[in-house]
Amino acid sequence: MPTSAKWWIDGDESAAEMLARVSAERSVSLLPPPLHRLPLRVGNVVELVGPSPSAKTLILIQAAINTILPSEWNGVHYGGLERSVMFIDLDCRFDILCLSEMLKHRIMNLNGSMNKMNQDQEDIGMQNFDTRRKSNIAYDEELYTLCMRRFLYVRCYDSFEFLSTLKTMHCHLQKEKEVKHSSIHLLMIDRKSLSLQSVFETVVQEIRKLVQVHPMLVIATKTTTFGDRNFANEAHRKYLPDTLDFRNAATNTRQLPYQENMPSVWQSFVTHRVHVRPSDHVTIVDRQNHSLYLSEWLLPSLSYLDKFIVQDGGVFLHN
Amino acid sequence: MAPLKSLEPEFSAIDSHFQMFCVSLGIFTEDFLLYDLHKLTGFAEQKPNSERLKQGITQLLSVVDGLHKPWMNGMDLLEDAKQNKHILSTGCEGIDMLLGGGLREGQLTEIVGPSSSGKTQVCLQAASSVAKKHMGSVVYIDTCNSFSPQRVASFVGLVSNLPFDQGAKHKILQNVMSNILCHSVFDIFAMFGVLHQLEFKLRSQKGDNQVQLLIVDSISSLITPILGGSGLHGHALMLSVGYLLKKLAHEHNIAILVTNHTVGGEGGIPKPALGETWKSIPHVRLLLSRDRGNNICSVSIIKHSSMASGKAASFMIYG
Repeated sequence: MPTSAKWWIDGDESAAEMLARVSAERSVSLLPPPLHRLPLRVGNVVELVGPSPSAKTLILIQAAINTILPSEWNGVHYGGLERSVMFIDLDCRFDILCLSEMLKHRIMNLNGSMNKMNQDQEDIGMQNFDTRRKSNIAYDEELYTLCMRRFLYVRCYDSFEFLSTLKTMHCHLQKEKEVKHSSIHLLMIDRKSLSLQSVFETVVQEIRKLVQVHPMLVIATKTTTFGDRNFANEAHRKYLPDTLDFRNAATNTRQLPYQENMPSVWQSFVTHRVHVRPSDHVTIVDRQNHSLYLSEWLLPSLSYLDKFIVQDGGVFLHN
Repeated sequence: MAPLKSLEPEFSAIDSHFQMFCVSLGIFTEDFLLYDLHKLTGFAEQKPNSERLKQGITQLLSVVDGLHKPWMNGMDLLEDAKQNKHILSTGCEGIDMLLGGGLREGQLTEIVGPSSSGKTQVCLQAASSVAKKHMGSVVYIDTCNSFSPQRVASFVGLVSNLPFDQGAKHKILQNVMSNILCHSVFDIFAMFGVLHQLEFKLRSQKGDNQVQLLIVDSISSLITPILGGSGLHGHALMLSVGYLLKKLAHEHNIAILVTNHTVGGEGGIPKPALGETWKSIPHVRLLLSRDRGNNICSVSIIKHSSMASGKAASFMIYG
């Protein structure tokens, strides 16, 4: 065992080496809009808040599709991360057909644009085009199945089921890693109305431990209640003051304040926060009326709003 | 989760020593989930029979693993949706067209409308349509004495336009009526009783004549009396009912139809009752309204888990 004092003073690696190692292991990625303003890396916890309905689950699905698609497949660039995602459904309202339609749309869009480019460039004869189109559709099925298998889903009906899922997740993730040689990159928790009051600390602790062993990005949704002041006041009276952390955040550009009543252990766990809500405006895109949604980064606080609309293929930015 | 003593016959490692160990740490039943596993193992190491205790912890963990729902991937979910979650026609063409076929098994559909807008008629028509066409049984939970067997009989009589003789028609009517089970409940605890009984029955017998449709008319008259007031118990009960209904729908492949009334909202525009927390419970919310003087109802989508909101249709109620 080296006992010299010099060994103890010499560091393990230089700063350049550490930066190279960390950027390789925990790389930074951009999520699809409207969460695209800031680069996010594994270990971050993003909270998506907003009243119901404001397309929060759709944003989660879009982020999931972005992660499960490969970056390239049969010459077509999909731009995905080719990793698995884990969706914990505490809301019990997830519709698999929604995910499947959006994924098919995305694959066909990207495939279709590639096809058009090929045809324009090479000027193929009709016969060649038919066979190529047929083989492309077959590839779509294979790609689609592969992507769907990367989407893992668990449904929890109460807080104890959620806790038991978190406790046993470590073993399941190990098994998945061995079987598929690809680890989970994104953990999504869709929770709109489930009450986790009594088990928040344990939940945060378990998620923290999981993220340490299996580095992944966590996105959680939460509903805010606008102006539901009576309910909030009563809650304040009934609960002990040290379990709830009240914050009346009236942002400077908005008239309506929104109230947040989450325990401080959760608030210190969250590293980023995005607020989405429907606006009153309706825009016309492709001769159809779409209502406009606004998204705003609260933590860290950025000063501009993004506008987006919801279409069949997903959530798209609108300027 | 059962108390630890009851697990002893099945799992040999959870013997009296293990139970004493747990009691010394304050763990009786589900508290196991709140405890940090590493700390628990650390405590176990300090005891003389540490190996046995650690075996007990592993066995308990496997019990916990069995408690939550198994993990599924996207393809499993899709297959389950295609094979088990069929679409049941409601008998009203307008609603069927709007919903892409009808009510979907595994989903909770809510019909919101002011009084005498036709909600009960839609429920009765759905009951008669499912009992006749799909040969499944219907459970009708009636909270406001609105179930009318004569009306159901007239709906059944209307649809069959083949010239049957009286005997055959009577037989069909008998079959259909015996497939509709009506329960009258007048408070939320009685409703919990009925739902738990139904769950027990569905779990223990998986034979023919499965329940396909569950109608609650109206759920708001059960919940509104307990909301508000001095405690938050009302909200908790409302959430429990919502989750229990969703669990029944998903696990036993039942379509659930509930009705809700409207209250005055901002600017005099009526909004659905039961508040913000209930908003995130149903999968599909439909708004029903009827013009005075004629029988034409118009229905529009307020919220749908995989379709844009705002689509509308109108239909006529016969008889």
